[in-house]
Amino acid sequence: MKKFRIILFISLILVAAFNLLSAYSQAIGELADHKSVPLHSLGFQFMGLENVFKGVRTVGYFTDKDLNNSLAIAQFEQAQYMLTPTVLDLNHTQYHWVIFDCTTPQVAMETIKNLGFTPLKIRNGIILAYNPNGI
Amino acid sequence: MVYFLGILISLAAGYLVIRLLTDNRLHLILHLLLALVLGLGIDGTVTFYTHILLNQFNHWIPIGLVLIIIAFLLFYKKEDPALAVHPIVNLKKSKTLNKLSTNKINFTQTYGLGLVTLAILAIPLAISGHYYPLGGWDAWSCWSLKAKFIFLGQDNWKDVLTPNLWRSNTQYPLLWPLINVWFFDLAGRFDQTVPMLNSIVFALLTAGILIFGILELTGNLWGAIVAAVIVTALPFGVTLYTSQYSDALLGLFLLSAFMSLLLGEKYNLPQLKILSLIFLALMSFTKNEGLIASGIAALAVFWHERANKKELKTLILTYVIALIPTIIFTLFIAPKNEAFINGLLSTDKPSNWSRLSVILVYPWFEFISSKWNGFWFLVLGGILLSGRKLWRSTLRLIAISLILYLTVILAYYQVNTFFEIGWWLSTTLSRILFALIPTITLWISLGIMAV
Repeated sequence: MKKFRIILFISLILVAAFNLLSAYSQAIGELADHKSVPLHSLGFQFMGLENVFKGVRTVGYFTDKDLNNSLAIAQFEQAQYMLTPTVLDLNHTQYHWVIFDCTTPQVAMETIKNLGFTPLKIRNGIILAYNPNGI
Repeated sequence: MVYFLGILISLAAGYLVIRLLTDNRLHLILHLLLALVLGLGIDGTVTFYTHILLNQFNHWIPIGLVLIIIAFLLFYKKEDPALAVHPIVNLKKSKTLNKLSTNKINFTQTYGLGLVTLAILAIPLAISGHYYPLGGWDAWSCWSLKAKFIFLGQDNWKDVLTPNLWRSNTQYPLLWPLINVWFFDLAGRFDQTVPMLNSIVFALLTAGILIFGILELTGNLWGAIVAAVIVTALPFGVTLYTSQYSDALLGLFLLSAFMSLLLGEKYNLPQLKILSLIFLALMSFTKNEGLIASGIAALAVFWHERANKKELKTLILTYVIALIPTIIFTLFIAPKNEAFINGLLSTDKPSNWSRLSVILVYPWFEFISSKWNGFWFLVLGGILLSGRKLWRSTLRLIAISLILYLTVILAYYQVNTFFEIGWWLSTTLSRILFALIPTITLWISLGIMAV
């Protein structure tokens, strides 16, 4: 029992030391390459739109991307975070303002044209369109 | 700077409440650590009553209410001459001190080492937090999103509960977002650094309570430091702390509740049991899992205290009063969980044997996963070494609470068949375990180190 106790105490100290070293090496890695943080800057391209949406409670968010793909959902959710407190209604276009986040700008422009909307802002492939008949 | 003013106000509120309960008999550092945990809980609760329940969005109201609480408690205790003595002066004579702190030099060295450890642990947390300001997925899709909606949306904050946002776990309780909102109220603006700094504070409070609590309960400084380092320096844990998830808050309240209970028993301070129940009630407002854990732990405490009828009544009353925000939110505000299918009744997605077999097998693979750096092997070793000590009195209460909680969680995985079970376990089980590791570490440490 005494041997087991000594082994456990040594293991505890070793794991604590290993954890501390690992935490510091992880931190040094982040200092060296902080751009490696996953999915962290997807929403930045929507910044500025919150000024357009002041006082607007809900806008549409149209995408033709595969929503089973976590990157597409992450982009939508980060857009939602950036544009809070306006609610983004995913794949609903009945609102005055609709954000188009499509696989290519061509697909987005074509959809906007088909719906009879007016494209107003284009930034990093994201298009803000105005629906004259929107609610 | 405004953030640190908020911390000071929260600390003062918590400090005075604990002073009221314990008459300064709690060790100063532990008193301060538990005070900040409580103070943050008070901030969130006050914000709930003003913004959520009364729909009052003047940002000075929650701040003013906390200041009124502080003023009232200061005034209230001024009439008590015993409180003229500062707690630190009493330390050497107080029976709340462990043997290491009876000598002045040892006291300084011992507690100085504890504080140095906290400083060492703070560095990787601060770096990770700095380069991860938005936190993890559930921070920007759930916790910080709700804080932002409540603060910026004001009267329209309930838009965050619309079915469109079902991915944001609309039914989840609001304590972590409301604590952030209280800080936004103080600053008068939304500030992304608030959830980031709060996440680091939660991690350091967890480490501090482990260090100084285990030290107080066992007198073993190095054992206490090793326990805190194992929990707080685990790289997976650092990532989860700075991810700004409510699991960290759940874990902190659970640890604080059991620490208060253990200290109350050791030093015959029944008022600390009241504090323990307040922490459990606050925990119920962190996550739905927190509500389950809170209910189980509170019932276990009530059972533990069943012999003392008068004390039991006070404990139940305290718990119910502190539970009011959770009750109101859960019954009257929270929308239906859109991510729930009752697999026991569903024919499309029934809960079947293959699901059960995955649920029973998956945790073992989780335990041996490299992300835990052998933590669960140490737990197994600690259980074997401690033997019966872990199953006596308050330690048994902790064990039963943890086992029942995990059993209920596994049952929920089986009943709710909305998500594919492999994916769901892989994304959530580690976080559920992460919230438990501070309390498990406390439990095992006392089994190994207690006399």
